[in-house]
Amino acid sequence: MSVGHIARKAEAEGISTVAVVVRSFRHVAEEMGYPRAVITRHPMGRPLGPPGDPDTQRQVIDAALDLLVSAPEGGSIVELEKPYRPMKSP
Amino acid sequence: MSGDSQETFGDFKDSFSYGSRSDLSFKFLKGLSHQEASEFLSVLLEEVGSLFDDGSTDALVDLVYEWQVRAYRPTTAAKRPYVYEDRPFHELTKSLGEMSVGLVTSSGHYMSDDRPAANAGLTQGEAFARIGEFLRRAPELSEIPVDAPIEDVEVLHPGYDIRSVVKDRGVALPIDLLDEARATGRIRRLVSPVYSFVGACSQGRLRNELDEWVARWKAAGIDALFLVPV
Repeated sequence: MSVGHIARKAEAEGISTVAVVVRSFRHVAEEMGYPRAVITRHPMGRPLGPPGDPDTQRQVIDAALDLLVSAPEGGSIVELEKPYRPMKSP
Repeated sequence: MSGDSQETFGDFKDSFSYGSRSDLSFKFLKGLSHQEASEFLSVLLEEVGSLFDDGSTDALVDLVYEWQVRAYRPTTAAKRPYVYEDRPFHELTKSLGEMSVGLVTSSGHYMSDDRPAANAGLTQGEAFARIGEFLRRAPELSEIPVDAPIEDVEVLHPGYDIRSVVKDRGVALPIDLLDEARATGRIRRLVSPVYSFVGACSQGRLRNELDEWVARWKAAGIDALFLVPV
């Protein structure tokens, strides 16, 4: 919930926001009216992606920056479909 | 608990949430009914058994993820303190390539030479043993310079399993890839410092801090915030 308060306050004060939220907390993003949120199907504590997987993390960041620009109104939520796949140990 | 013989199944499943078996990836067990927890553990063991033959952990990862989602789904009886009808929205006034972007995460990162007072002397294990104290405190906003050496940035948080983010800060503190977005011209600037705090804090006290926090971000010239709740 902490970041929801920040998003609401920042938008009201003229700073646009976009958040990356794990699927377990999608309901928080909806209830608090996150202005723009990208939902990732990742376990808790790993919102951007698995450790050591910059490709997935970059895809999430790209999706969030895209949403920052394209969202037509507050409450714009996009859920990414890619499942969480940890990098295999060498 | 004075002995194993006295532990009920309820005690067992609840012990993963800030109890004798604290495991922040599995604290959701406490929110499940006995029947649900039994179902989860049965399928979990079945999937572990399958590893002997197929070696793929995908089904195991998916299972835990799906049960986390299920466990955190709000029930109709649950009190929901922060449900709003309005949707604050500030339209962009610049293109992305002209924007100064700030980063704020509730991951609990901080500079090793500027440790938040609430964390002083605590290990991660000691921190989650004190979750109640964290939830009553005002958050402390840590500043992390974009060019700070990785080894000088530490993390402590009583509310989530930090093992992934310790291995790779990009999991929840995406400084490096946002700076890459700056280098490629996708954004004009990643504003330094970036900010982190422990999201497991008093929500009322957090809101009391926001006038000052937002003023700080506006003074830094931030056009947009990239937010990472953990």
